[in-house]
Amino acid sequence: MDENSVIFKGTVNGLTIILRPEDNFEDILAVIEKKVESAGKFFRGAILDVRYRGKKLSPDEEKRLFELLVSKSGAEIKSLQEGKEEIPQPVQQEPPQNHPFRLKVSNFFFKGIDEGPTKFHKGTVRSGQLISYDGNVVIIGDVNPGGVVEAAGNVIVMGSLRGIVHACADGNRDAVVVALNLQPMQLRIADLITRAPDEKEVRNTYVPEMAVARDGMVYIERYLR
Amino acid sequence: MGEVIVITSGKGGVGKTTTTANIGTGISLQGKRVVLVDTDIGLRNLDVVMGLENRIVYDIVDVIEGSCRLKQALIKDKRYEGLYLLPAAQTRDKTAINPEQMMKLCDELKQEYDYVLIDCPAGIEQGFKNAIAGAEKAIVVTTPEVSAVRDADRIIGLLEANEVRNPKLLINRVRMDMVKRGDMMNIDDIIDILAIDLLGVVPDDESIVISTNIGEPAVANSKSLAGQAFRNITRRIMGEDVPLLNLESDEGFMNKLKKLFSRKGS
Repeated sequence: MDENSVIFKGTVNGLTIILRPEDNFEDILAVIEKKVESAGKFFRGAILDVRYRGKKLSPDEEKRLFELLVSKSGAEIKSLQEGKEEIPQPVQQEPPQNHPFRLKVSNFFFKGIDEGPTKFHKGTVRSGQLISYDGNVVIIGDVNPGGVVEAAGNVIVMGSLRGIVHACADGNRDAVVVALNLQPMQLRIADLITRAPDEKEVRNTYVPEMAVARDGMVYIERYLR
Repeated sequence: MGEVIVITSGKGGVGKTTTTANIGTGISLQGKRVVLVDTDIGLRNLDVVMGLENRIVYDIVDVIEGSCRLKQALIKDKRYEGLYLLPAAQTRDKTAINPEQMMKLCDELKQEYDYVLIDCPAGIEQGFKNAIAGAEKAIVVTTPEVSAVRDADRIIGLLEANEVRNPKLLINRVRMDMVKRGDMMNIDDIIDILAIDLLGVVPDDESIVISTNIGEPAVANSKSLAGQAFRNITRRIMGEDVPLLNLESDEGFMNKLKKLFSRKGS
């Protein structure tokens, strides 16, 4: 049975396991065990609500799955239940499948917001170029209108940000977007989308600003005194 | 060994063909051998702007397909010594040639001419890819409009990705009266976004409309301000350091002098 017979999906609340009804439970368990083992230390310390769907499991099978997850993942499994439908999304969240710039790497939240892998791009990001990275991104240059920067973590632009930026593209809202001249066409942090105010402010000098998501809204602040 | 320069923009209608015609004519007026290559296959215009359309027998597709020799397709402009045109085909389209063939053609042309100017079609697809294939240098033409600058930015990104480094910027159809009113992007804003070296600024000028329609490039017209701008640009391409034209003076020097005399006279 191949790896893709069981799909793990990260959600805002935890983990969803998608099964196929025609598969044998023993095979399913084996695949899940392999997937969790290959994830290594990834799950360790996480607190997960686990849902599953796609196949009906008996209470006994549920118990075995639960035990497998608890013993092999290192995460604290708060619950395991059958999820009948998709966990209701908050109003502004874009469905992940329709996301135009899909990060292909992992479905799980990037945990390196404070310390983590970072891509440094030297030079201007021009219209039509896409910089996409499963981590933090630092652009040493401008991001021109029409240019797109997508990061699983923070985005720092050491120049003018006039294009489209998407920080925390995988759902974690703790990321920030910082620029020396923050005038984006569109700014997204996780599932929150916002854009620059309509009055075009003419600026002769750089005013470094940071965009953070707080209480479901995006705030722009000057972080230097 | 000649220089192969592609004149491109992304956006259509900003003045690539006009620029190619004028710079080419300008360079030939300075005594060098120039060949203009029209790669806009299917929508050829360079021949019309140069006034050479009724002398076309063979075109670039014929040369590449081997139906004729390169010398048979090149049209010598009788007005300007050293100026030649390789026209595009009108009955085919841009899939008729590929980048490798273009590169071979440019290599052949650069043996014979001091400058090979390639008029690139609008867009970023096959036509563009063909046109930049043999080029070492590029001139990016834009007008001071947000959409044109956006497309120019994309083109610069694509040029850099295709190893055509340090493109130069030509801002065309500038209307200084509108720039002063704030209704048109000013030159510094454009350079701020595009971040490449400025080759020159050409004002919006009625004489260009006239000259393209009659097939006489404006660069040869001493009364045309745009022609003067192109003359300066030509000299810059050939290495001279020429200061930017002052586009703000609406009145020519002669008019100001006349005014002075008429006041004193009466």
